[in-house]
Amino acid sequence: MRFGYRHFILLLLFPVLTIAGCEQPKVEFIFSEKTNELMPAAAKPVKEALVREFGNPLALTQFEGLPTKFGDVEGKVKSVEATGAEAPLIRFQATGLENVYDKLQGLPLEWTSGKAQGQVSRIKEYNFETGMIAVEKAADIAPQPGDTFLVECTRLQFGRDLYNRHCMHCHGMSGEGTGPTSRYLNPPPRDFRLGIYKYTSTKSTDKAQVQDLERTVKEGIAGTYMPSFKLLTEDEVSAIVNYVIWLSIRGETEKKLVDELFLDFSKETFAERTSEAGGETPEEIDEELKEYMELDFPDTLDFATSSVAEAWEEANREEALVIPESPRVPDSPESRERGRQLYLSNKTKCATCHGPQGRGNGSATHDFWTNPVTNTKYPNRGLHDIWGNQLPPRDLHRGIYRGGRRPIDIYRRIFAGIKGTPMPAFGSSALTEEERWDLVNYVMSLPYSSN
Amino acid sequence: MGKGWCLFFLFWPVAAVVSCAAAPFIGWSFPYDNAQAASNLGIRIDHLFYLILAITAAVFIGTQAVLVYALWRSANNRDERAQHTHGNHKLELIWSIIPGAILLFLALYQMNLWADFRFKNHYPEAAVKDPLAEVTARQFEWRFRYPAIGKQLQPKPQPDDLYTVNELHVPFGKPVLIQLRSDDVQHSFFLPALRIKQDALPGLQIPVWFEANKPGVYDLVCAELCGWGHYKMKAHVIVEPEEEYQAYLKNLTQQQSYDGLGQIAANENGSESEAAEK
Repeated sequence: MRFGYRHFILLLLFPVLTIAGCEQPKVEFIFSEKTNELMPAAAKPVKEALVREFGNPLALTQFEGLPTKFGDVEGKVKSVEATGAEAPLIRFQATGLENVYDKLQGLPLEWTSGKAQGQVSRIKEYNFETGMIAVEKAADIAPQPGDTFLVECTRLQFGRDLYNRHCMHCHGMSGEGTGPTSRYLNPPPRDFRLGIYKYTSTKSTDKAQVQDLERTVKEGIAGTYMPSFKLLTEDEVSAIVNYVIWLSIRGETEKKLVDELFLDFSKETFAERTSEAGGETPEEIDEELKEYMELDFPDTLDFATSSVAEAWEEANREEALVIPESPRVPDSPESRERGRQLYLSNKTKCATCHGPQGRGNGSATHDFWTNPVTNTKYPNRGLHDIWGNQLPPRDLHRGIYRGGRRPIDIYRRIFAGIKGTPMPAFGSSALTEEERWDLVNYVMSLPYSSN
Repeated sequence: MGKGWCLFFLFWPVAAVVSCAAAPFIGWSFPYDNAQAASNLGIRIDHLFYLILAITAAVFIGTQAVLVYALWRSANNRDERAQHTHGNHKLELIWSIIPGAILLFLALYQMNLWADFRFKNHYPEAAVKDPLAEVTARQFEWRFRYPAIGKQLQPKPQPDDLYTVNELHVPFGKPVLIQLRSDDVQHSFFLPALRIKQDALPGLQIPVWFEANKPGVYDLVCAELCGWGHYKMKAHVIVEPEEEYQAYLKNLTQQQSYDGLGQIAANENGSESEAAEK
């Protein structure tokens, strides 16, 4: 066999054929199950509103007043490359973008001065090394040296890229907790769309602080599959958390909108209302829905977005933080004994769930509990969290502290409870500050006790 | 077979030899600092590696030269038919005895190094007496447990033990020993810069010692495919002077006993920003 031209071509074709087919699939945020249970005419405006306010993973948008950073960066045109009349793109050298995220391709660029002021172009090409930007040619876009522009969404997009690389395969594209690997994990990854996070430093009615989520990303959650991402830079962690909060807000907004509509306009209600017992015609319901959409829906949307945004903003106030009034009571046998008495008392009822010895086998784990959302009994015995997962109370002897092992972390679990779980908050109860610390001392001593 | 194929088959061994020879100069060789290991034991391992590389390179070049020569000769001479022979006793003895001798030499030559690396009675006494930390590999992170300052590491956790994740601080210039465990599946504790690699097995506690010969931040990675998140199982080993190491432990102690009031020092990655802000 001679080493001919044909063999050479075959050799070259091999890597080309291997690379072909690696094109990125089209991705979209998914809507909640409850949204899809609405009547199609009711689901449509909800979905449209969500796409309008939040976009999709490849073209993110953000409504005004949201506490997350969208990431506007100001740039200036340095020089414009001369191109032929036929060229489809305008290329220019920009300054001011040196320290920003390097993947600006596809992002909107708003002209803030010059002839095109107020116009928006999409970045078609961007070279981070040379600062060369290319935008589509249009009649009213004629950048001149000195013209300024804003590039939008750099922060959110940076967070999205990192999230998709490190978090998405468990937490899902939309933060719904059903990424490809989630089915193998126990406990399952968090569904961000309720906006509830378990391990926070804030009071029981407040959301998580940005720092809480950053700490979780950096330290991981011991005893679960959430690993530590300590090797990411501060900036990367903050960008991921920014995006996670944004995903939470999207999910919460969706939930609020759907909750408003569900009672009257779900597919099930529609069937009931148009049945013989209901006595309404589909036209009547359509008319009612149309009226609602015209008169009330804009307000509902406005309220949903502003209330969610406000709650996230408020969580970062200093008043939201749980700070003890007095320092930790010294960890002595007497304090631990006082803590043990409290643990077993009716005042705290800790033993009901965590068991008399703290083994996580209290009497509550043998009962059938009622789901507070659906008002029906759970099929399994024992406690459940609001995401619907069975939740055994922690075995306090294992020495694994998911929310952190500092005394302040345990104190906060006792003071503010664990959000989304049946662990109650003892912050406003009859417990005194000293009693809370006694409980902390007792709980922290359990892994080392001979009992 | 045409001459094109002869050249094709000649190209690859030549490319392999050239790229191997150039590797240390273009950063394709061992990691860090011009391919110099960051531990004395690592430097000895490198010597052994280079010795084996030199022997295999000589054999490789020799056999490839013979192969290409045979191909080239037959490509030039299309009339001569190949000749069938039924083995050569002398030749077989030669090519069995020479590799056997080389293997025997290597086995004897590396014995001391292997003993120093793996035999507990050869470990530095100070390191064995006072292990630095317990390292627990788990899907997909490294968790570390140090004894409290002034205390010794106990097999079971103690109330004042210090805990961190993905960041192991090590004092510089003295041998240290870690107790390696796995929480779930098989992992491998791999410090490429120090040439240290040891599997972590569930149910076993394996002592591993090393001594860094220069301060720095080194990668600790998992060298055993341990599940879907294997790629993210990375940590840093920070080798620093004794005083800095002690200061780190002090800082860790303060952070770990933080009760939400008063000031504590922020650690390097600022995860205590909450405390710093107040």
